[in-house]
Amino acid sequence: MTLDAAFRATEVLIALAFLQQSAEFMLRSGVERAIFAVRIMACLALLFGAQTELALLVLVVISLWMLHRFQGPYNGGSDRMSLLILWCLTLAQWMPTLFWQEVIFGYLAFQLTLSYFISGRVKIVNPEWRSGRALRDVFAFSAYPVSENLRQLSTRPRLLWAATWAVILFEVVFPLALLNQTLLIAALCIGASFHLSNAIFFGLNRFVWIWMAAYPSLLWFQGRVFGDVF
Amino acid sequence: MVRLFFLLLPGLIPSWEFFKAIEPSPRVQWRLFSIPLEDGEGWNEFRPRPQRLSLLTILRRLFWNPRWNDSLYLVSLSERLMLNPTQHSVDEIFDRLNFYVSAPDPVEEGPLNLQFRLIFVRREGEQITESITYISEPRSFRGRT
Repeated sequence: MTLDAAFRATEVLIALAFLQQSAEFMLRSGVERAIFAVRIMACLALLFGAQTELALLVLVVISLWMLHRFQGPYNGGSDRMSLLILWCLTLAQWMPTLFWQEVIFGYLAFQLTLSYFISGRVKIVNPEWRSGRALRDVFAFSAYPVSENLRQLSTRPRLLWAATWAVILFEVVFPLALLNQTLLIAALCIGASFHLSNAIFFGLNRFVWIWMAAYPSLLWFQGRVFGDVF
Repeated sequence: MVRLFFLLLPGLIPSWEFFKAIEPSPRVQWRLFSIPLEDGEGWNEFRPRPQRLSLLTILRRLFWNPRWNDSLYLVSLSERLMLNPTQHSVDEIFDRLNFYVSAPDPVEEGPLNLQFRLIFVRREGEQITESITYISEPRSFRGRT
């Protein structure tokens, strides 16, 4: 994937992800609703490729307003990834040379890789995760399961142990997928499925769309830095 | 500006340590009253989760999930209130309660007060336990204004 194609794909995907996020704020009122309406307009401009630099700048300003308004992220990790993609995309496009554009977009790809690897590493060093106990706790008493019925899964220790290790192994070996493009595409499909399952079980729908918006940066980065090692 | 910079920084250099440990999990409970109540009286869970969700609802929530995402924000606010209490967290929780809680019908005698408390659920050994960690001061209930 070329850098320009990766930029454009990221613009389209982040615009769609932000549209989904912003639409939910149309239920609010007053200034909050008005600012998210402006965000929707900037997303539409970005989506259709009209005044993209200006649209990105508007989205960056609104991202600062949101941090102030909610005194941090509104939606935890998905807002952090939203900020990272938006700021990297905007800064990269404002850079005067190709070298710095590649450095900044490469940083986004690097962070995406870390997002899987570090999540896996913190689990694999924790005995509660290794035994499957942590995932049982998530289903038993955390605020995340979307329905009471799902809490029953906490009584299926072998199933949750297997699910835990499937996630841990995927996350810790994810960086190896950079060695081959076909492998990377397969790993990103598994990653998207993982986020989809989190949306189904825990209602984390924003993660699906925003993590997928970072995938083009990694597809470009893999070709640019690694090619096909094997 | 300095505060904003420190709010932005974890977005640009994230830690990605999702679910490093399963921490005690907050629940928000509320009550409305016109005459003072005993400590344990009249509490309701805010946005209790449904018993089950249909496949259609799960699919819809992939694209449209405002109430659940707002509930996740309430979880963050509750955790912030325990770690680093600010007026912002208290005001935000009251804002949501005022918006979504309905006054009883018919309205009780006198002006209504709204109050919330935080219950943290955790596992101790094999037992799931709950503890009340925060009780707000009552505020006048203003409903959806």
